[in-house]
This record gives sequence, structure tokens and C-alpha cells, in this order.
Amino acid sequence: MTRLGIPVFITRHVLIALVVGGIGGVLFAGFLLEFDRFTSRNAFCTACHSMIYAETAYQRSAHYNSASGVRASCGDCHVSPGLLAATWDHLIGGKDLLKQWFGADDDDPVVNALRLPESAFAARAWFRSRDSATCKRCHTMEAIQGKRADTAAIHREETAGKTCVDCHYNLVHRPVPDESTFKRDAWNRMIEEEFGLAPGMAGRMMAEE
Amino acid sequence: MNFRNTYRLVSDTGCHGIAFSILIVLWLSPADAAKVALDPGQWGHPAGEACVSCHLKASSGLAAQWQASAHQRAGVNCMDCHQATAADADAREHEGQVIATIVSPKDCGRCHTQEFEEQQGSVHAEAYAIIKDRVPALAQNLTGPAVQAAGCDQCHGSLVKVRGDGSLDAATWPNSGIGRVNPDGSKGSCSACHGRHLFSKAQAREPQACVRCHAGPDSPDKEIYEASKHGMLYASQRDRMNLDAPEWVAGRDYTAAPTCVTCHMGAAGKLPATHDVGLRNAWSLNSPVSQRQLLVVLEDGGKLELPASAPVPKRGAEITKADGTLGKVKSVGTPERRRQAMSMVCQECHGKLFTDAFMKQFDAVVDLFNGKFAQPAQAIMAGLYAQGLLTPLPFDEPIEFTYWELWHDEGARARHGAAMASPNHTWWEGMYLVGRNFYSRFLPAARAAAGDRSAELVEAHLTGDHHQWLTDPAAGNPILGSSASEAP
Repeated sequence: MTRLGIPVFITRHVLIALVVGGIGGVLFAGFLLEFDRFTSRNAFCTACHSMIYAETAYQRSAHYNSASGVRASCGDCHVSPGLLAATWDHLIGGKDLLKQWFGADDDDPVVNALRLPESAFAARAWFRSRDSATCKRCHTMEAIQGKRADTAAIHREETAGKTCVDCHYNLVHRPVPDESTFKRDAWNRMIEEEFGLAPGMAGRMMAEE
Repeated sequence: MNFRNTYRLVSDTGCHGIAFSILIVLWLSPADAAKVALDPGQWGHPAGEACVSCHLKASSGLAAQWQASAHQRAGVNCMDCHQATAADADAREHEGQVIATIVSPKDCGRCHTQEFEEQQGSVHAEAYAIIKDRVPALAQNLTGPAVQAAGCDQCHGSLVKVRGDGSLDAATWPNSGIGRVNPDGSKGSCSACHGRHLFSKAQAREPQACVRCHAGPDSPDKEIYEASKHGMLYASQRDRMNLDAPEWVAGRDYTAAPTCVTCHMGAAGKLPATHDVGLRNAWSLNSPVSQRQLLVVLEDGGKLELPASAPVPKRGAEITKADGTLGKVKSVGTPERRRQAMSMVCQECHGKLFTDAFMKQFDAVVDLFNGKFAQPAQAIMAGLYAQGLLTPLPFDEPIEFTYWELWHDEGARARHGAAMASPNHTWWEGMYLVGRNFYSRFLPAARAAAGDRSAELVEAHLTGDHHQWLTDPAAGNPILGSSASEAP
């Protein structure tokens, strides 16, 4: 027992450590918050040249241009809610930076388009594994009314066991078929036609990368 | 109650002087539609019922029509028709299922095998392939590609393109043209006549089912039918047509009037129904010069129309199909036999003498068109092209429009009018215009193009009896007041 009723193990050093640690912890949490905010910005994501193709499609989508002025940023959809989850996503996302530096030449529009489907499949799997958590940041199931008849009823009655992305894919970026029906040859031919490449060129480019 | 009817088709080949006889074996019932042979366990896809709950809310018209359909009553659901395997060119994921948007004749043929096999190779199924090479002259040059998607292809069918991202190319789809080339390789579109998603028999038996394409200046079959006694009877006695009957045999299940289906596809007396719409057509009526035509049936189920003037292909011979691929000849139907089949329909309501005399009147109009206008015009155009007096490029010279309309529009109207008993279309809408344009537009333009070679390139083709009347300019007639004796 001490005069102030403070336990004996709270020595002066411990007290200093607690204060410093507490302030440090708050600062660190603040840093993470700021880090998340900074790295979730569109400007950050599109600082890599390879991201301009995703950005172009996004800017034509309703998630960029909405009548109400609500605009979803890259991070709003692609970074999990919650500080720890967001921090984790950013850490994992660091691999994209490594890919940008050392991976395939995704700055090339043809390479980018050829490799897009695999990115889409990975993104969809990510959404699914988190039960479309980032969608639900803004979209509340009970509040979905829609503009067409019965949109509300469909969401109320027909969605058991489904997550948003099961139905709502190809919303923002260039449409890619579901992985189950995706045909690499057909995709390559479409890209070849689009860029005026000789048939078979896409396959060779993919092999080189 | 299905039974096999065997028809023996006999014709004289002429050039070989030997009887050429072939058997066409038709799996046909005397009724209008074959019973589905597939075991009921083959339909009623377990995932199919789930579609309906949602689709009664989204695109509810589709689901509501299906609910009112015979398919629904038989337990055939959305997935039975729309199911696909992931490897299918147009497969896509939809709510956890792999489906295809287009239900092709091949898909329908899983159950409706007989109809599928009859329809494959018919002039309907080949409607895209038949004009594929000619379309660019009008759809691309004269107008533009937009017209092909929204115009030509909507009747003839499109070559459906599946894009690399799995979507159907909007330049080729939506399309329910009757000769559509589907992603699975099959040809045709059942929904051209059997509207989605009700697939009603009664609807397809209506003349209205054909009107989307068989109307307008080049094939005014709607207008011809409506103007004919057949159309008049149909309009006034529609409530006695028994259109909803499960079987629809002319002369047995209804006698009030024939519709398009009755003569071209329907069962009549002992004549079985067929989904090959051109089977009973002895003539080609939409060509520059009409030909009596042979129906060549190929081993692979394909069919081909050949002019009867050409050598009759031998059984087992290889022959080039409309789409350019090769097929082996299985049997050949002669124009005489095809006419006989058509006449069997007539004779459910008309006597044989009546029917034969009607066909003589019809044939005489076609022969007149051929001999007086079509063959000379064709020969004149060929000469002008051969001599370089016209450019090979179609439609860059006014005479090319005149010639085109002469056979493709006015000539077709006259021939169809005579085939289906509309006097107005045979004459005023048809042969009168053919005559007017031949003498007052085509020949003057041809003479102008031929210049000083007119005698050789134009007049030489006008030497027959048909054009004799022009050699007596003094022969007056009261029609225009040029006959003194008739003047008031």
C-alpha cells in the first residue's frame, strides 16, 4: 500500500512507460488511420501507370458518377472496413507494387487487357471471402428499393445464401465472364481484334511475360 | 400413333433418259406435331424451378408467359431449355447456373427431334446462308451495316457472334431471324414463329406468325393471302379454325380456311405435316428467273434446292451446300412430286380438276414472266456486264435498280400473287408493273447503255412472239382512245 493507493508495482518507470506507450499507441493508431486514408485514395492507387486502365472503366461507372454525388473510391470497395483489416489489406496489397516493378508489363494496354480476367477472378474471390463487406459499407440490404418494380422484393426474398458479388459483378471495371465459363482463347481473340493484332499474337505475348 | 410414311419419288432425268427413282423416308405423323420421344425423366431440371420465383419479379413477362405454356404443364422449366455446359461458346454464369441466352433449334431438338431434323436444311434454316454473299451489295454498300442488324438479319437471321467476354455481339443479337446461325452451329430460330415464352401451337398456325417477314414489296404474302379468298374465309370464320387443337389436320380438324401453315407445312388428309417449309414448293419464285426445283436431301440431314434443268445428282454423289460445305446425296425430290404434295392439301377442299387447272393458271403466269421478261432482261444485263457497258459493281447505275425491282419486287409479287390466288397482286401490283417497267424503263435504259450495239445486245433478245405486238404500231385500241371505230 502506498500513500495514493497505487499498487507498488507501478513504479515511476512503469508510469513513464505507460504514458509513453499510451501516447505512442495513439500516435501509431493515428498513423495507421492516416496510412489507410492516404493509401486508399484514388490518386495513390492510380499513381501506378498500370492502374489507369482500371481507372478509365471505373470513371464511366455508376460508382464514380452517381446522381446523388456519392462516389466510391478505390479503397471504399477494395480495402476492408476496420483498421486492422484495412492495414492487413494494404500489407498484402504491397505485392501489387512488387508486380508493378518486377512483374509483367501491365503498363502495356494489351498485356493489361490480356491479364485482366485473372485479376477479376482474384478480386471476386476476395469480395466473396469477406461476404462483400465493402459493398455493405454503403449498401444496406433492408434499404434497397431500386428503380425497377420488385427490386426490393428480389433482394428480400431471393438472396438467401448469396453475397452481393455473386450477382453483382462486372459493375465497375471491364466485363469479364465468370471463371466457370471463361475461355482464354476467345478472350485473346477479342483483344487481338481490339488492338489489331495478328491471330495468335496474344498467346505469344502471354508466354513472353 | 406415329408411323413411318414412305414416299417413292420418281422422275425422268431427261438427259440420261433413265428413270431416276429415290426414296424419301419421312418420319412423320398424320398430325401436326410429333409426340416427344424423350423420357419425361429427361426434363424438369432441378435448378429450373428456382428461376421462376425471381423472374416473376424481374422480366416477369417471360415467366408469366411460360407459366401459361404447355411447357409449364408438362414440367419443362427454364433450365431444361437454357442449360448449357461451360464449354459452350455462349455459356455464361447466371445466379450460380451455367446457362445460354440463345435457345437454338438444337436445344429444342433434344425433345422435338422430328421438327428439328425437318427444319435443318430447309429454306428457312438456310435463309442466312442463301443470301450471305449478296447482302453486302445492299446492306453494306447501298445503305450501311446498321441496316443489316436491324433489317436483313431480323428475317434472314444473323451469324451470331459471341464476344471474347462471353457477351453476344449487339451487331448480331438480339435476333430471331429464321436462318440464324447459332453459336452451337445449328441453323434457324424456332422462336421466329413460336414466340417466346409461350410457344403456342395456335399462334404459329396463325397467318400472323409469318407476317413479320412475309410482307412488304418483295414478298407481300400477307397482303396476297388477305386479298385471296383463303384469307377472306379465314378472317370471316376464324372462330371455326380450331387453332388450339392438339392435332390440326386440314379436312379433319378444321375446314373453314387454310392458313400459311396449312399449305406449306400442315397435315392434310393423308399428307403428313412437315417443318420443312419449302418441301412442297415446285418452283423457286424469288429468283431472277423461276426454276422448277429439285429438293436434294443429304446424308447429314442437310438439304439443297437445285434447278430441275440441272443434271439430277446421283445418290451418294458429293455436292456443295449453300454454306459452302460438302454433303453426300441421300435422295432427290422432283418438282412433280413436290407439286403433288401441295395438291394433296388443295384437294382436302377442292376437286382434282379444279386443283390441276389452278396449278396450270399459276404455272402459266410463271412461264410468262420467265419467257417474256425475266430471261430477256437477264440476258440483256449479262451482255451489258460482259461488254463492260455496265460496271460490275451493283447499284451504281440506275438500270441496276430497275432490273433488281423487275424480278425481286414486281416479278416476285406477280408470281406469289398467282401462286396464292390474289388477282390484284398477280396483275396490278405484279405483272402490270413488270410490263410497264420492262418496256418503259428497263429497255430504254438498256438501249442507252448499249449505244450503237443496241441491236446486238438488246433487240436480239426481244425476237420471240412475246414482243411481236410492238411491230404493229398502227393497231389501235379504245383503252387510250386510239381506235377510231371506238371513239365516241
